[in-house]
Amino acid sequence: MRKKLVFVTLVLLIAVILSGCVGGPVRGASWAGLAANGETAYLADGAFVYAINLNDGREIWHYPAKVDSKQLFYATPVITSDGLIIVGSAGTNHSLIAINPGTIDPKTGSPIEAWIFTAAEDHWVAPPLIVGDKLFAPNGDGNLYVLNLSDGQSTKKAEKVIELGGRLWAQPITDGTRVFVTSLDHSIVAIDAATYEVLWHENLTSAIPGSAIIGADGMLYVGTLDSHFEKIDPATGKHETVLTTEGWLWGTPAVEGDNIFIADLTGQLYSYNTSTGTNNWSSIKPDGAVTANPLILPDFILFATESGKTEEDPGNIFAVSREGKILWNEEISGEKGGKIYTTPVFAGNLILVAPLGAEGYLYAYDLNGRQASWSPFIPGQ
Amino acid sequence: MNNSSNETPTLPAGISSGFLKTVGIAALLVLVIMRWNDFISIFANVLLWIYDLLGNGPHMFGIAIILFTILIRLVTWPLNAQQMKGAAAMQEMNNDKEWQAIQKKYAKDKEKLQAEQMRIYREKGINPFGSCLPTLIQFPIIIALYQSITRALASTPLDLLKLSRSIIFPFLNVSELIPLNSKFLWMNLGQPESVPFFGFALPTLAIIVALTTYVQSKLTLPATTNPNDQSAAMGQSMAITMPLMLGWFALTFPSGLSVYFITSNLLGIIQYAAQGKANWRNLLPGGQKQLQQKK
Repeated sequence: MRKKLVFVTLVLLIAVILSGCVGGPVRGASWAGLAANGETAYLADGAFVYAINLNDGREIWHYPAKVDSKQLFYATPVITSDGLIIVGSAGTNHSLIAINPGTIDPKTGSPIEAWIFTAAEDHWVAPPLIVGDKLFAPNGDGNLYVLNLSDGQSTKKAEKVIELGGRLWAQPITDGTRVFVTSLDHSIVAIDAATYEVLWHENLTSAIPGSAIIGADGMLYVGTLDSHFEKIDPATGKHETVLTTEGWLWGTPAVEGDNIFIADLTGQLYSYNTSTGTNNWSSIKPDGAVTANPLILPDFILFATESGKTEEDPGNIFAVSREGKILWNEEISGEKGGKIYTTPVFAGNLILVAPLGAEGYLYAYDLNGRQASWSPFIPGQ
Repeated sequence: MNNSSNETPTLPAGISSGFLKTVGIAALLVLVIMRWNDFISIFANVLLWIYDLLGNGPHMFGIAIILFTILIRLVTWPLNAQQMKGAAAMQEMNNDKEWQAIQKKYAKDKEKLQAEQMRIYREKGINPFGSCLPTLIQFPIIIALYQSITRALASTPLDLLKLSRSIIFPFLNVSELIPLNSKFLWMNLGQPESVPFFGFALPTLAIIVALTTYVQSKLTLPATTNPNDQSAAMGQSMAITMPLMLGWFALTFPSGLSVYFITSNLLGIIQYAAQGKANWRNLLPGGQKQLQQKK
């Protein structure tokens, strides 16, 4: 009898341990996606997408109304010109959903879907790109789905499925006529935005988890996991390494005039000048790894670090002047601290930070690093 | 030469070699739990190394899982052999007349029964934990393998970041290996498997996992002549619960884990058969009952 009890306990234990790894929408499966529009922030974090009023930090709504075990949100939401919130699910239903905040279900207090797309075969990690009335949506299954935003359908069908391969984790970018898509399978692809024809397909030396950007010189710039910062001719795909960084490059660079700001997984910060081809900054490594994109603000560039000097320390935000001087830094406060992977967003005169593993879901700071009176946002409080 | 150097070292009174083995395995388990993340990293690195050796092309991650399972089976072979030996010894004792007699005699005196049981264990040189401790070792291995597969496949950005920090083999260039090709035959190893079948999603791997687990469990059930044998009854119930549990895991978790289960089950069957321990009669309906009646 005792043996039987031990066996049953072990079986239950293993079931619980394994189930804990994948069962249902787990907050913390990856870092949250954050976007903002005017005075409202949209946070895709685990089972829900939250709309948060930036004036008082109160929740306006959350979607879906109840936990759906097939849905998991951490892709950055995209806000359309007509106010829809498009967000992909990394859950088992692989759905891409357009939430209509203008239509709230009176029974649940949650907004309803304007449309849904369920034909993808893998997780949605990347936010889609809107070009005119077309949506270019990259999925983990290696396909770029093109949807028509003006067809009025509530269940969307792909107008075109462009098979690119690998895993597409980064938002495509456009120069108006071409769409550039990066892939974890080491490649970057240029697609004609009107005909969907693949113009060129270039292999770099390693995976590309971030998006490319277009520099002031009209060239594409992108970072790779083997620490190469690449310059790519958007017309031909011809590329060269212009900077070798100390660690892996994860996030999307940020561009301002001739300068491109990037940071790597060792925590080193860079300001690359496209006209001189040099790094403006001498070694600046204030803290831990950086996965978030730099945020360009009027008086400084904001960098968010995963953790402090040791892995146990909470993440920080650093305000760095254009000359490479650290103006201030702020640690994620609270008993639990928290790590910052999500790219901060500036909206409503506030810097918004969504840490992972902290007590709060969303923290808000003014431009001097002081926390807003309502910060942090914790659902249900 | 000192004669004492030729003497076989003896253990202090009351401490058997079985007890030492038990303590050793328990200490190993505690160490693994304390350094769990490192344990997963070692698994993930070996898995990636095999994948790299195979040329990291399509289907290679599935083959890497199979080869890794064979490696684990080889490493844990002595444990499995000990488990089989322990189970056989316990079974033999359950059929022993003296053992059955003391069960009846001291049915109402638990303390005396335990003392008598321990005496017989000592006399026959049987470690009562000999069959269950090796099984205990399998659980962390299954969990570690599941976690190393999901870590290696890195299906979320956070997983990929964790993977980048798990690389302890300096010769592994993980930035080139990423992303792992998760296609194997018709499966995506990072997701639960099913095959469209007349409009239904048929979970073929889950069915194969359940079947092979059932066959393996049945084959390892030793022959018993004692209809009141508790361990045989437990074995029978395991032969039902284990296939259901592993089948459910296969239904829910990434199919890479199912590939491990199936390979491991097949290797287990081969190991039992090679050692002449497989009890094929158990696969027949009522095989166990027939044996009891025959005896």
